[in-house]
Amino acid sequence: MKYDLDIATKDRLLVQIDEFNIQPGSLTLLLGESGIGKSLISKAIFGLLSPDDLEIRINQLDYEEYLKSKVCTEIQEKGFFVFQEPSSHLNPFRTLNKQLNEGSIKDPARNGEILAKLFPNFSEIEREQFLSVFPKPFRPSGGEKQRILITMAFKKMSLLRKNRYNESAFFIFDEPTGSLDNEYRNIFLKMLLTAHEQLKFTALLITHDYSMISEITDRYVKLLPSINFRELSVHNDDHQLKKFSTDSYLSWLGSVQPKGSKQSRYKQPLLSLQSEIKVFNRRIVISTSPEALTPSKLEIFPGEAVYLKAESGAGKTTVAKIIMGLQSCQSFQCQVGDITLNQHTTENQWKRNIWAKKMSMVFQHADEALNLNGKVKDIFRGLPLKKRKDREFLIENLKIVFEESVDEAFLVQPVAFLSGGQKQRLNLIRALILDTDIVILDEPLNGLDFDTLQNVLAILQDRQRQGKSYLLISHNEEIIDRIVPHDRIYYLNWKRI
Amino acid sequence: MSENKKNQKCHFLRFYEQKDKYWLSIWILGLMMIWIWNLIYLNKPALKQLESGFLNTLIISFLVIIFSILLGWSITLLQYLFERNYPKIQIILIFLINIIRSIPQIVGILMGYVILTVLIQQGVLRSDFIILIFMALIIALFVFLEIFDLLRERIHYFRRLDFFDAMRVCGIRERYIINREIIWRSSRIHMVNKMIAIFGISIFLLCSVDFIISVGLSTDVSSVNLPVTLGSLLAKIDSKQDILAIGYSLTHLGYIIRLPFEHLQGISVSFIIVFTLVCMYQIGNGFARRHHL
Repeated sequence: MKYDLDIATKDRLLVQIDEFNIQPGSLTLLLGESGIGKSLISKAIFGLLSPDDLEIRINQLDYEEYLKSKVCTEIQEKGFFVFQEPSSHLNPFRTLNKQLNEGSIKDPARNGEILAKLFPNFSEIEREQFLSVFPKPFRPSGGEKQRILITMAFKKMSLLRKNRYNESAFFIFDEPTGSLDNEYRNIFLKMLLTAHEQLKFTALLITHDYSMISEITDRYVKLLPSINFRELSVHNDDHQLKKFSTDSYLSWLGSVQPKGSKQSRYKQPLLSLQSEIKVFNRRIVISTSPEALTPSKLEIFPGEAVYLKAESGAGKTTVAKIIMGLQSCQSFQCQVGDITLNQHTTENQWKRNIWAKKMSMVFQHADEALNLNGKVKDIFRGLPLKKRKDREFLIENLKIVFEESVDEAFLVQPVAFLSGGQKQRLNLIRALILDTDIVILDEPLNGLDFDTLQNVLAILQDRQRQGKSYLLISHNEEIIDRIVPHDRIYYLNWKRI
Repeated sequence: MSENKKNQKCHFLRFYEQKDKYWLSIWILGLMMIWIWNLIYLNKPALKQLESGFLNTLIISFLVIIFSILLGWSITLLQYLFERNYPKIQIILIFLINIIRSIPQIVGILMGYVILTVLIQQGVLRSDFIILIFMALIIALFVFLEIFDLLRERIHYFRRLDFFDAMRVCGIRERYIINREIIWRSSRIHMVNKMIAIFGISIFLLCSVDFIISVGLSTDVSSVNLPVTLGSLLAKIDSKQDILAIGYSLTHLGYIIRLPFEHLQGISVSFIIVFTLVCMYQIGNGFARRHHL
């Protein structure tokens, strides 16, 4: 399956790639920084974009012609597309059960086995109750919705016949595990790889989760010949699909070590957070064990990286926002140097004493944390820096996170037009440049490609040597576990009050 | 591919697709054509009146835009400040704003004209330009809420996004975030769109009010000392007769040919008003569509 794609709006080119090649009958794991067009390309191939909104050509065909072509109709007929954002895939006016049994996957007989694997904690009655609900933005959870979409895809796969020619059945999974924890991610991978071995369909799995590489190479060595690891990158508006070396990732992972001086333990902590926080009628308990057996203070010493771990939705970001005074709560207590913060502390005190003085924070989604209407050169404007923010200062500091040359064209580039990885780097550098003792990093590796990820971690560890500390929140456990010593990992657990 | 395709596209077609620019050109061209026609066929004193009426209307409308922006922006900031620090004062401010909101715009402007006439009669306002400014201020007082509501809504929207807090925790001052990042950088296009609407609204209100007072509301409120505008020009007896002639030509079709030669003043004034309002409507729509507002 060879694709030559051009996708443009009326004003600018979005994607231009001459060779987007997917080996028929193989499983391709597509990596790469976010926002460079992985989803757009796959949607275009699956025929999901509107020819009215974009100018698209695929293999020299206008998009309208492509949509009518046999290739596209066959892909849609035999394959399935699992969307990145499950809420946008599901119809809020139909129950999950109805959506799971409509169109080409209407046969309910195939549900039981797949659902049992993807929802192992539900009894049959609980499953039925769960399927009778209407999907709303916050219910069921993102992970549950994602598993429903995956169930649909597997139902469609079950229509394929074993030991037959199934290469034209194209299954695309766009970040299917973004809201799943490692346990469910591994269940999904096992199901997909098993089904692929039996049915030999073509699959494209788009992901930013590099730890999938370890999982696949550790457990499914026999299947590796039918799995391709590819990375999409962009240089000067030209997209390229390159082979991704799993060895380089695995050897890098093996070489990563925690940094930070052990001497630091004997000093006063920079931050000390009491083990119990009450918010939204929940009691959040911090402990050094996953089971919350021993509640303990969260302490950050100079030069340390501390990892705050919990399942999705447990309140990690909420705790970070409470520490930064951005979220009101029923009770909490925190000591930052000689300043005591609690639920009664006024916003002005945070403004005067904490923000950009003692602590700063990098928010989870760079897309939301940056003003997309600004330009790259505006990134340091308004920051309370002593140095004059001239052009040299700007370039010098941007080069810390942008290895490639920072030229004039890049400086005047609108932030909205940057790739997800570039946005994330801007997001990081804005907080890092403040040189505060503590930086809270909420999902700092989001959207980064492998090269940038290594660079960012190197920068963070380098700053640790200078005595700077971090509170890390990340779902990328495999990597963060390597850079944080085990005794500096804290777990969040919560109970309803 | 896309570059080639774009180059192949006819320039006019691309221009036509940008409806705001297209209608702006139509407006300017239409006004120029009517001016040239009047230059040839309209008598000099009437042409002079028409020119100053149009120019005054234009100046007042531009001033209304400027005053509305200044008023809207500053009251938005005040309201934000009070909301954060002095909630009780904010209630009073909102109450006052709601009083203005509850007064029909034409009624409010007519009340303002009463004050304006008194000031003219007392000799406080003498220069024509000062009177124009005062007229614009009165209209702006009843239309600035368009800007105020827009900015308040924009600030409210952006405050809920992470970017507001992400900047604050980096030590960026709130007034910088509000003024520079939210209003200037992220709402400029929305404000321009509102400015186009305000331009149309002020022409409509100005012409309506000037027409009402010029046909003789009372002897106390007189348009005698006010600068001539399209509204007051339309109310003049010559213009009324010209407009009546349009009705006459409906039953006497042969008369139509005489309209653009013998009834130019009234027809020109009414045409300019209606044509401008239609063009502003189209420009506003085109602008909103082009910028995906």
